[in-house]
Amino acid sequence: MRPTLRVNVFRQSLIVSGLFVLGLLVVNLAVFKPSTVAVVMLSGLYQGMLFFLIAAGMSIVFGLLDVLNLAQGAFFMLGAYAGFAIYGALPAGTPIEARFLAALLGAAVTGGLAGALMEVGLLRPLYARPVYQIVMTLGLSTALNEMVRAIYGPAGLVPIEEPPALATTFTVLGGQFETYRVFIIVVGAALMLGISLLLQRTRLGIIIRAGVQDSEMVQALGINVRRIFTLVFALGTAVAALGGMTAAPFLGAYPGMGTDFLLVAIIVIVIGGMSSYEGTAVASLLVGLTRATAEQISLQYFNTPILASVSILLFMVAVLLVRPTGLFGRE
Amino acid sequence: MTKASRSAGLIWLGLLAAALLIPYGFAALTGTPAQDAAGLAGWASAAAAAYCAKGPTPLVWLQAGLLAGLAAASLAGRRLGAWAEAVAGARGGYLTGLAALAALPFLIAAVTNSSACTRGQAFFWQAIFVDVFIMAILAISYNLMFGFVGVVSFGHAAFFGLGAYSVGLLMEHLGWPWWGAVLGALAISVAIALIKGFVGLRIRGLYFALFTLAFAQVFFLLAGNRLLVNVTGAEDGFTFAVPDFLNMTKNRLFFYYLGLAAMVLAFLVVRQLMRSPTGRVLVAVRDNENRAQMLGYNTFYFKLIAIVIAGVLAGGAGVLRGLSLKGASPEVLGLDFTMTPLIMTLVGGQATFVGPVLGAFGLHLLEDFLRDTVVTVAGVSINVGERWALILGVIFILIVIVFPYGIVGTVQNEWRKRRARRP
Repeated sequence: MRPTLRVNVFRQSLIVSGLFVLGLLVVNLAVFKPSTVAVVMLSGLYQGMLFFLIAAGMSIVFGLLDVLNLAQGAFFMLGAYAGFAIYGALPAGTPIEARFLAALLGAAVTGGLAGALMEVGLLRPLYARPVYQIVMTLGLSTALNEMVRAIYGPAGLVPIEEPPALATTFTVLGGQFETYRVFIIVVGAALMLGISLLLQRTRLGIIIRAGVQDSEMVQALGINVRRIFTLVFALGTAVAALGGMTAAPFLGAYPGMGTDFLLVAIIVIVIGGMSSYEGTAVASLLVGLTRATAEQISLQYFNTPILASVSILLFMVAVLLVRPTGLFGRE
Repeated sequence: MTKASRSAGLIWLGLLAAALLIPYGFAALTGTPAQDAAGLAGWASAAAAAYCAKGPTPLVWLQAGLLAGLAAASLAGRRLGAWAEAVAGARGGYLTGLAALAALPFLIAAVTNSSACTRGQAFFWQAIFVDVFIMAILAISYNLMFGFVGVVSFGHAAFFGLGAYSVGLLMEHLGWPWWGAVLGALAISVAIALIKGFVGLRIRGLYFALFTLAFAQVFFLLAGNRLLVNVTGAEDGFTFAVPDFLNMTKNRLFFYYLGLAAMVLAFLVVRQLMRSPTGRVLVAVRDNENRAQMLGYNTFYFKLIAIVIAGVLAGGAGVLRGLSLKGASPEVLGLDFTMTPLIMTLVGGQATFVGPVLGAFGLHLLEDFLRDTVVTVAGVSINVGERWALILGVIFILIVIVFPYGIVGTVQNEWRKRRARRP
């Protein structure tokens, strides 16, 4: 493939995405008051970041291993529960900031370890049977959800306290917005940038990108691809678990909490183009903004958030029909 | 057409006509309205009702005799020698199983010392078996897509749930008669299958699976939303009235046989389809779609046929589910009703005819038998019924990794190996 062509397609997709966001903004401005527009845009961004945290791992893993990990939502949930356990285990005297930070880190580590275990124990035996892999991840997702239900009960846990500095609200253009949600946007943006740097600027990143192109070739160059597979898989689940804990202060933790996010994450990576990291990053924001706009519109006119989910499903179907490989996907 | 098969056909037609006329005789004899008793369904229903009302009256004996005559006539169409051979072979297994299922309500009644017609053990088990039949049809339909054509669908619940919803909505809100509603629901299944096929089948493999998942999810969300609360009852679902002869509470024995007949029909449809030339092309599409295209087959068209048939079967299962519960709620459109037939297909053995049926029977009955069992392992008590989904998930993963061909597939492979070893 000639690199110039790739860059052109990339630039085109980026322009289309930019125009789409602009269009959404225009719709927003036409329909809502300025204060609502600001809140809708911010809430679109924070939703988009949460979707990104789940979808990022799925998309890189799909590119590298050809496995769509449908258990990624379960790892999101696992992260929340692990974070709660760590938060609760620390003595009450510890400052909330420290407990919260420990919970975040603990969630990521737990997610990473569980992911590595899953890759080595359950996925490896199935590399020769691709259809069974996706079916297995779906089964694992059920099993993990049910395991959590068996241990913690079906009701779920009450949301934990967020650090006081983040528990405030602030005003943008006259609309109220929670500081904690800005924190999520910051965390998401940092990870987005961090993973991008990892992929573009490090040796590991070069290997991963090469592996997405042709993993057998990478193996032929004397690199232990299997170990890279495990590492990348674990990184993906760690980011998802971190996402689960990040969302925990307002979502709480309950069995099946990942399933809703998983469906959106699938939509995101399909729109983005399955194995394209840039595509996933852009698509998660597009989906977040679309969802927030549609939610506000349907709340305003139909008094129910129904359009929120339906709009992004239609978005995906439309993209699939126009460009079956997604916005940033390779032909 | 040979002479023998023509005379067999005439016997068939004569018996069918007699069977169709029986309800009118029945109506004249008992004074019940003939409209409920019309047609084959009404006839069977009337037989069940008559049995439950009066025990085996001469009329019931006559009807049972006619049924046996129909079966005999169908068999007379074959050479007797070939038939005896078939009974000894695989078809014998099917026929034995079918006979056992046909006798089951009475066997359970005899064993538990209860009546097959009134509330009690036998009545209770009939309802469970109706559920099993419905799930078996769904699994058969799933297997057609997944096992034989190799198309992974994560949205089979859309067919199933829409079948249940549309039969109820057509009867309750549009006032259609039961047969119109059933036909309407099946027509909706065909329409959905065509939409899914035309839009979805152009995108291959994984994308199709995700497309169907999204497709089903739209209906799940719509059904549970308060926007249409007056029509669908939102998250609570809705109930509807069914005619007496289709009423599971009043005429359960009949519903049992209806479910059994529907399952046998679904089984035969898929078996005949896969044994036909069309079926061979479908298998070729699964094994190597490019090659099938190179050979000159329009694979898209063949896949479309498969998805329409699978859609009608799954929709039919949904119709039965709606009728048996006399209602529908959003859960029938949920992911569970895609996962469960998938697990049943995998456990039983994908791409085999009996596999999905065995899987449905095995898993569903296991769940019912173990419902209130408490197992204590190392001081931890586990209520099997409450944790069934977890157990199912673990079975699922184990099957996928250890027994990818399921029960039937593994047994078949072993059998073939043993046969090959023999000189």
